[in-house]
Amino acid sequence: MSNGATKAPVSQIVVGVVIAALVAGVAGYWAGTQRGGGMAKAEERKLEIFHWWTAGGEREAADAMFKALKAKYPDIQLVENPVAGGGGVSHRVVLQARLSANLPPDTWQTLGGAELKSYVDGGYLVPLDSLYTEIKYSDAIPKPLANAVTIGGHPYVVPLNMHIQNILYYNKKLFDELGLKPPTTFDELLAAAKAIKAARPKMSPLGLGTKEKWEAAFVLDSLLLELGGPEYYVKLYKGEVDVATDPIFKAALDRLNTLRPFTYQFHAGLTWDESCGLVVSGDSAMVIMGTWAIGYFKSRGWNPGVDFGAVTFPQKPDRILLFHPDTYGLAKGAPHPKATLDWLKVVASPDLQVPTDVTQGGLFARIDIDPGQFPDPIRQELQNYVRSNPGKLILDQHGSIAPFSFTQAYWDVAAAFTAKPDVAGTVKGVNGLFTTYKVQEGAAWYQWP
Amino acid sequence: MKMRGTPLRVLVLGTVAVLSVIYILPVYVMVTTSLKTPLEITQRQYLAPGGNLQFGNFATALRLVAPALLNSSVISVTVTALSVFLGGLGGYFLARFRWPVTKVIFVLLAIALYLPYQAVLIPLVRIMATTKLALTHFGLIFSYLILNVPLASILMATFFFSVPRELEESAQMDGASRLQIFFRIVSVVALPGYASTAILVFIQVWNEFLLALTLVTPYTTTIQVKLNDIKGSYVALYNLQMAAALITVVVPLTFFLFLGKYFIRGILAGALKG
Amino acid sequence: MNPTGLAARLARAKEAAVFVLPLLAFLLVLYGMLAWTFYTSFADWEGTAPNYTFAGLKWYRFMVGLDRFWVDLGNNLRWLILGVAPTVVLALFIAYLLEIGAIKGIEAYLRTLVLYPAAMSFVVTGTIWSWMYQPDRGVLNTLLRAVGLDALTSGYTTDPGTATYWLILIFVWQYLGLAVLILQASFRSVELQEMVESAMLDGASRLRILFAVLIPNIRGGILVVVSLLLIAALKVFDIVYVVTFGGPGYATDVLALFQFIATYQQHLVALGSGLAMVIFALAFIIIIPYTVYALQRWFE
Repeated sequence: MSNGATKAPVSQIVVGVVIAALVAGVAGYWAGTQRGGGMAKAEERKLEIFHWWTAGGEREAADAMFKALKAKYPDIQLVENPVAGGGGVSHRVVLQARLSANLPPDTWQTLGGAELKSYVDGGYLVPLDSLYTEIKYSDAIPKPLANAVTIGGHPYVVPLNMHIQNILYYNKKLFDELGLKPPTTFDELLAAAKAIKAARPKMSPLGLGTKEKWEAAFVLDSLLLELGGPEYYVKLYKGEVDVATDPIFKAALDRLNTLRPFTYQFHAGLTWDESCGLVVSGDSAMVIMGTWAIGYFKSRGWNPGVDFGAVTFPQKPDRILLFHPDTYGLAKGAPHPKATLDWLKVVASPDLQVPTDVTQGGLFARIDIDPGQFPDPIRQELQNYVRSNPGKLILDQHGSIAPFSFTQAYWDVAAAFTAKPDVAGTVKGVNGLFTTYKVQEGAAWYQWP
Repeated sequence: MKMRGTPLRVLVLGTVAVLSVIYILPVYVMVTTSLKTPLEITQRQYLAPGGNLQFGNFATALRLVAPALLNSSVISVTVTALSVFLGGLGGYFLARFRWPVTKVIFVLLAIALYLPYQAVLIPLVRIMATTKLALTHFGLIFSYLILNVPLASILMATFFFSVPRELEESAQMDGASRLQIFFRIVSVVALPGYASTAILVFIQVWNEFLLALTLVTPYTTTIQVKLNDIKGSYVALYNLQMAAALITVVVPLTFFLFLGKYFIRGILAGALKG
Repeated sequence: MNPTGLAARLARAKEAAVFVLPLLAFLLVLYGMLAWTFYTSFADWEGTAPNYTFAGLKWYRFMVGLDRFWVDLGNNLRWLILGVAPTVVLALFIAYLLEIGAIKGIEAYLRTLVLYPAAMSFVVTGTIWSWMYQPDRGVLNTLLRAVGLDALTSGYTTDPGTATYWLILIFVWQYLGLAVLILQASFRSVELQEMVESAMLDGASRLRILFAVLIPNIRGGILVVVSLLLIAALKVFDIVYVVTFGGPGYATDVLALFQFIATYQQHLVALGSGLAMVIFALAFIIIIPYTVYALQRWFE
């Protein structure tokens, strides 16, 4: 055994280690430069924000938000991390990864209700009681909205809008031509659908797109609300109704089935915007969609009150508005808490809400803003109604009342029903979901009225 | 092995015709869509070309994807270079140190080769975040390295198998060390193998979506994430998405067309993962 | 040098170290992560915050109690069978046809044609195919109606009964070119070419040559193609995600998509980890033949 033979491998190992160290060194340097050394200095005027408003009218709404921030705090450097995907599907992937790794952005877009609750339960958000007191935000927004962002007695996020879910849009010119009245009950809807079908046999009177699944639950929600009333609606999604034996749920499914021949047949392939597109292209005459559809119709050159109309659906037994808000909060361990609090104050202000909400499609979260700020009669009327009847707002299942795990599965079952109507099987399936996902336990936080 | 005959000729031409339709139609749709206006997109006339061809879409798309193309290039090239380097070392071990433990390592590598990314996604993101690498290019680079070094090792091993041992033995007689032999002789002879492996790793990293999405940051967005992002969630800008796709497909397509020979050799050598 | 001496072994180990250590480091991280996911599937992680409390089989029981899990498993089996078998058969047919009857120039053309989808992102091909399939305005039905074949129009991916099969067809479309190329390359060995020549001289028919000479002698190539396709089919995610998002309802859902939804949308991370382990277990079974084959070839 010569000395040289043992020496050579050692030197090879040294070479290997040196290479590894070099790689690690480059990595560390890279990491340092990319992060901008931002971790150390907590007072830097920077704000990292996650949101899912990335394109079309929503991108413009996001720009309006950030313009409001810049106007108020020109020194805050904004770091956007917009991730596209319907209603934030991809957004949640990235966010979840960052949160569970204790690497939160300063603030992120979230719906109120159960989605918010999942972040609060995870301990990722800071309660905002003092901010709410400071800017008296609880007085500025409707009570049901405040409840939807309050978990365990503390407000955790600042809502900037309210989307209303149960709106029926219709082709106004066609309705005028056929002498139809916009339907506000199921019977009227069915009658209108029949009349349209008779006059325009090639049309599918009711547009629908269930690719993202939740769209199917919207229609079902409206039917449930009419059959059961507001108290029933809340009880259902709090898991206090025995769906297996409940006549109302079954009746709602039957009604959904009755609408089937009048509904766009290939809905499983369309997203919500494409389903609204059916009304514009003349394939359909009506569609049930949230207030964000107003922005869509306008982007297609359709004017509210001229080309299309909108009514709350249903309006029996009561005119209830099912809503969910877009909100922002302050992350626990946020790198820039001061800048974030400044941002949240801007979110709460009319300076942000007016341009953003007018562009994006929802209602103002603040009810002290003049409804006349909306350019369209539809939202002027809705905002006025909310102003004088804040008690008629109920957090919707989309946002939601029930835990998010349930809601996702529920959408699938609802969408499956619209594709293959099996009433008994769906009743059984939905009933199972309520127990599987322990809805009663998970939704206990929500109180209405 | 050529054969002749009219029926055969007809069969070949028939097959070519059918395949042409099936494979050209989607490209046709892609091209026409990329030239449409947003309004034409919303009209959902998928087959009909637009009336007013928007060549500007390509300029817009290029502007939008340029940073992502740069990110993807930096990440893919770095991962490819490091993977073939480390994989070359590992592959040489597999090919030349035939111990019982080598078999064990081989089986572990083979499993790793086919590992669904989902099975390691949660811990991987956690590690990347804890080490603060998640917010940098290096987070993705390191993740892809972990997943691609096993692939590169197995591929390189198959190439080293075919390098004659006599070459090494004579060098050993001359007193060269193992590492010298590896770098100066074996690696040089197996250079086509390196090319093959590099192409495979590059394409794999370039087209990866799930991890890139999970570790996305504004500065490190890769081209695949950007492609998904570009159409947005509201009024779907499919025209820009398709224009961007046509621009970005050029990179892997070039690899396929001009280096296809190596690519196939690589696949046959080790059977890559999907 | 005495190759059996302890000192010499040690020297050899040191020699090997520089080659194998980086590899081992990466393997360690990889298997560490796999073990981590494995443990998570037995933990009680429900919600956004990590929870590593041991919960035994709780979430596996939950998994097998879900109708969706069995629908997914059924769909994954459909993908494994229908995504792979027709692709291999078609690819064999095309590769053989090109091999025996290629007309000048056509081979390069066809190769480019069937290979470009493999270079494209699944997000893009998925989007295009959703337009091909779209029932009322989509490309296929519009074409069929234009040539008077209204009877052949279909709801494609919007029909819960057949949707999965249409998705699988996209997969076949995307992978066919790769399969053809690999099989063609494996035809090209000198020994095999000689065997074919002599069979031709003996007057064997074309089909006989294919089945009696070619196929038995390209087992390696076929195994490679089949393993490649099986794993790709098992991991399928992007196509389903983009074209149907698992719909109608969850008729076209697959394990990988459910894993994604469960982990990131429903925040049932333990369930998601369990689903990942199911995918892993299936992948493990699928690669056994390939591993055994490679071990035999290399180490025996």
